[in-house]
Amino acid sequence: MHFPISDVTVNPLALAGVGFLVGLLGGMFGVGGGFLAGPLMYLAGVPMNFVVGTDLAHMTGKAIVAARRHRTLGHVDIRLGLLMIVGTIPGVEAGARIIERLEAAGSIDQVVGIAYVVILLAIGGFTCWESMRAMRLVRTERMAARDALAFRGVTHRVHGFGLPPHISLPASGIESISVWVVLGVSFVTGLLAGVLGVGGGFVRMPMMVYLIGVPTHVAVGTDLFEIVISAGFGTLTHALKGNVDILIALVMHTGAAIGAQIGAVSTRFLVGPRIRLFFSILPIVGASLVILSLLGVLGGH
Amino acid sequence: MLKNRRVRILIRNFAIEVLIYSVLVVVYFLLVLRLLGEPLMRLFTENLTIYAVAALVLIVVQGALLELLTSFLVSRIGLERLD
Repeated sequence: MHFPISDVTVNPLALAGVGFLVGLLGGMFGVGGGFLAGPLMYLAGVPMNFVVGTDLAHMTGKAIVAARRHRTLGHVDIRLGLLMIVGTIPGVEAGARIIERLEAAGSIDQVVGIAYVVILLAIGGFTCWESMRAMRLVRTERMAARDALAFRGVTHRVHGFGLPPHISLPASGIESISVWVVLGVSFVTGLLAGVLGVGGGFVRMPMMVYLIGVPTHVAVGTDLFEIVISAGFGTLTHALKGNVDILIALVMHTGAAIGAQIGAVSTRFLVGPRIRLFFSILPIVGASLVILSLLGVLGGH
Repeated sequence: MLKNRRVRILIRNFAIEVLIYSVLVVVYFLLVLRLLGEPLMRLFTENLTIYAVAALVLIVVQGALLELLTSFLVSRIGLERLD
């Protein structure tokens, strides 16, 4: 099928298939899926200059579908999501500026690539270890399976941070937490996203669980709520630069919307540790794709 | 046993809901391609600002309104939702 805006001919079924896959992952784990969709779109024949903007456009639609579904399941903390956006935006901006400065100083592609791989492997490895330990605790100590967490020490210390003002997050089951903690965590996730050039879903979701103490299901839904706003903003800015082929995005969204519905509903049948265990595979896949990219097997990162 | 049967019914209802939604998103895309393909192409070359707003609106409509329409149809059919 010919897409006149980007002037390419791409198999629409391949695009819908990519959309379905990242939609499924997004609905289930609260990630945008750009780490996977980008290389797959490029391999399907979408020109590189249209990949990022078009991916953001379809991500916006997919996140709306998945966030709405999670909201009906009671998995979205809107207060937390809005507060996190306030911290994320300056974090992303600061990250982008750091990259600009580093680029001006010399080529940093490999340094960023290696940092990306190390951070993703650390997140994937830690989440895998923690979720397996949590599942073992559920079996041996009869802990409630849905929100079992094997790593509460840091969460308790973070909750003990007393700098006012404090807010309560009833949707996340948090009675009181310093606003600065939420802003700090969201700033750091934004900074990492800005430096690494990714949406940040697979940094933000575990940070919400392990540092803020948000239940896994709510972290997934709230992350999707945040993606709606960040990806929507990204779509607008990329479209203004002529980097969005909306017809390609709409084809991808036909698959993504269906995948997102299925992914979101499937979380209803999974307990928190199991979601985290499956999630831990994603950063490892993302790291592998970057390693392939650094080795020149895939297109440029 | 009764719980399993209820879950099976809810999953079947969800599959019907996804099927209705799939038909709607595909019809929506074909309509946009047929009716708006040329105007979008013109906007892309002549006015990127309006194109950017139109692009965002189209994807939001596909994401939000079609889901609302599906929910409405599902409630009209009388299917109990998995939520």
